[in-house]
Amino acid sequence: MTMLHFDYKMKIEYEKPVGRCYFTIKCTPREDARQHVLKTKISIFPETEYSWGKDSFGNRQIYGCETEPHRQFILHAVGDVEILQTDYEEKNCEEVMGIYRMPHGKCIPGDGLSGYLKDHDFSENMSQYEICMTLMHRLHQDFKYAAGITGIRTTAEEAWKLGEGVCQDYAHIYITLLRHFGIPARYVCGLIVGEGQSHAWVEALCDNMWIGFDPTNDCLVLDHYIKLGHGRDAADCAINRGLMWNGGAQSQEISVLVEKRERK
Amino acid sequence: MEQLELLKHKDTINELLARYGVKFGIYKNNIFKEQLFPFDSIPRIIEHDEFSRLEKGLKQRVMALNLFLNDIYGKKQIVKDGVIPEDFIFAFSGYMAECEGVIPVKKIYSHIAGIDLVKGKDGCWYILEDNLRVPSGASYPMIARDLCRRSSPDTFQNNRLEDNRNYADLLRKTMDYVNPGGHTVILTPGRYNAAYFEHSYLAEKTGAHLATGSELVVEKDRLYYVSSNGAKERVGAVYRRISDEYLDPMNFNPESLIGIPHIYEVYRKGNVALLNAPGNGVADDKGIYYFVPKMIRYYLQEEPILSNAPTYLPFYEEDMKYVLEHFDDLVLKDVAEAGGYGVVFGSSMTKQQKKDFIVLLQEEPRRFIAQEVIDFQDLDILDHGKIVPRKADLRAFVLMAEEPMVWKSGLTRFSRNTDSFIVNSSQGGGFKDTWVLYQ
Repeated sequence: MTMLHFDYKMKIEYEKPVGRCYFTIKCTPREDARQHVLKTKISIFPETEYSWGKDSFGNRQIYGCETEPHRQFILHAVGDVEILQTDYEEKNCEEVMGIYRMPHGKCIPGDGLSGYLKDHDFSENMSQYEICMTLMHRLHQDFKYAAGITGIRTTAEEAWKLGEGVCQDYAHIYITLLRHFGIPARYVCGLIVGEGQSHAWVEALCDNMWIGFDPTNDCLVLDHYIKLGHGRDAADCAINRGLMWNGGAQSQEISVLVEKRERK
Repeated sequence: MEQLELLKHKDTINELLARYGVKFGIYKNNIFKEQLFPFDSIPRIIEHDEFSRLEKGLKQRVMALNLFLNDIYGKKQIVKDGVIPEDFIFAFSGYMAECEGVIPVKKIYSHIAGIDLVKGKDGCWYILEDNLRVPSGASYPMIARDLCRRSSPDTFQNNRLEDNRNYADLLRKTMDYVNPGGHTVILTPGRYNAAYFEHSYLAEKTGAHLATGSELVVEKDRLYYVSSNGAKERVGAVYRRISDEYLDPMNFNPESLIGIPHIYEVYRKGNVALLNAPGNGVADDKGIYYFVPKMIRYYLQEEPILSNAPTYLPFYEEDMKYVLEHFDDLVLKDVAEAGGYGVVFGSSMTKQQKKDFIVLLQEEPRRFIAQEVIDFQDLDILDHGKIVPRKADLRAFVLMAEEPMVWKSGLTRFSRNTDSFIVNSSQGGGFKDTWVLYQ
C-alpha cells in the first residue's frame, strides 16, 4: 500500500476587483475502492465560509460564495491519500455504466474520428483489456503532445483534426474510441508524482474491473496517481467552476506537488 | 345545453383577456412575437363517466412515469430487465446525469404534469404527449371560466359542471406537500417571458411569492427570498417556470442569468423542493413515449387504461420495415424537436423529400418515431359569426401530492386552419374552456 502526500495550490488574479464570486471546487481526492483519504486541509483566501458536498458522480466538492471584494483568490489543499489498489471493482457500477458507454459532450465522434475508427478492426477473441492497450498505443503514436494548441473547450473531434494537444485531449479521444468499441470509459482528473499540474487519464471497465490507462504517457495508471474526480468528460469533473461579477481579465497559476511518503 | 347566451360574449371576453395580458409568445423565423391567445366561447364538454375513465387513466400514467423517474435516476431496473434499451435513456438530452442519486423530497418528480390527448372519431381518447418539465396552460381556462361566469352567470347555474376554480388549491396542496420548511415561490424568468401572465396569475391565486432568480439567494445550503428591504426569508418550495438548463449556472448552463447559483446543491441536500424535479425530460421525450404503456405494466402490473397513438420505433428492425411500407399513412416526428416542429406527414412529402427523409431515417433511426395519423374529432368554433369545425386536443393537468389528482377541467386547444392537425399554441390557434359535467 502506498501513501501519497499532495499539495494543490491555485491562485487567481483579477485585473479589477471582483464584487462577488460563486465557486465550486473539486480539488480533493475521491474516497472509493481505489483510494482512502487519510486527511485533507483546505484554506481559502480571502477567508470565506463554504459547504462540503458530493456531485452526482460521487466527486467531493466544496462550494460557496465569496462576497468580500477581492483581486486575488487563493485555494490551497493539502492532504494524504492511501492507494489501496490500482484496478478495482465498484459497488453498483452496473447502474450507471450506460452513462459511460454513450457518446456524450466532448466525446462525440465527427467525420474525422469516425474515419480513424474505421482503421481499427479487432478480432473477436481479443479481450477488452487487449483492445484498450492496442488503442492506447496507437493513439499515442498517432497524436502528438503539444501545449497551447487546444483549449479547455476543445472537443475530441476538434483535437483529433488538429493532430496535437494535451492530456485532456488524449483522454477525450481515447474515451471516444473505447466507447465506440462498446467499452465503458470515463474521464479522470487527478494528480501525479512528478508533474506540476493536474493531469487527466481514463478509466475503462474491463471484465468488471475499472482499470486506469494514461494515453498521454502510454502507460497503465499505477499507485503514484491520485484521483480527484471522474465523469463523462472533462466538464463533469472540472477542478474549478466560478461565476463572478466584474474582475476583468484574470490569470491563473497552479502548482501541484505529489510525493510518496513512508507510513509512520 | 344553454350555451347560446355565452356565445354572445365571445368578443367581450377576448377583449378582457387582452387587457389582462393573456398572451402567448412564439418564435417564428427566429423572431419573438407576442400574440393574443384567442378564446372561443363554445366549451368542450366532457360527460361525467367519460371523464372518470380519463381520470383513472391519467392517474395511472403519471404514477408509472413517476416510478420510472425514480428508477432511472436510481437502480435502473427497467433497463436491466430489458424493457427499455439503454439507447433510449442515456443518449437523449432529456436524461441528466446530474440527477443521478439525487432523491427529491418524498420521491416526487412529476408534481405538475400536462398530458396531451385527442379524441378520435372512434370515440377513443389517445395520449399524444406527456409534458413533465414546465407544462403551461392551466391559467387560461381558469381565467376564461372566471370571465364567462361573470358575463353569463345563468349559464353556470343551469349546467351541472364541475367548478374549475380549485386548480389553485390543488397546486397549493402539491407545493405544500413537498415543502421541507419555508416560503413557497413561483420562479419566473420575468415579465418578458411568454407565459408571464400565467406565472403571476398562479402566484396570486395560490398566495405564493412571485420571484425572479435575482430575488433568491443561496447561503449555507439554504435558499432565501430577499425582499426589497433586504430581509431574508427561507424558501422551502420553488415552482420554477424556467427549464432545467437555466436553473443553476453553477451546475448547468453557465451563461444563465435567470437562474440561482448553487440552488441545485440546496436541492441535492433536501433543503428545498423543486417543482417539477430536474431531469424529468427523460420521461417525456418523444422517444420514450413508446415505452409508457410498457412502464405501466412493468411498475404497476396493470393494463394501461388510456392508449397511446399507435407508434413505431424505426430503431427496431420490424418497425422500420413497417414504416417504410406504410410511409404515406404515417406522421414522422423528430424526437429532438418540440412545440409542433419537426413533425412531417409522409403523405405530404414530394418524391425527392421522401427519398431524402428515408436516407436520414436509416442513418439515424433512433432520432425518429412514426405514428398512425389519428383521425380526431372536430370541435365547433365560432369564426366570424359562423360555426366551423377545427381539430382540437386537450391538455389535462395531473398534480401529485400524497395521491395523484386530476383537475376537472383542462386546456382545449384548436388549430388555426381547417386543414391543420397541429394544435400547438406555438403554431397559432386558440383555446376553449373544458367543462366536465357531474352526475
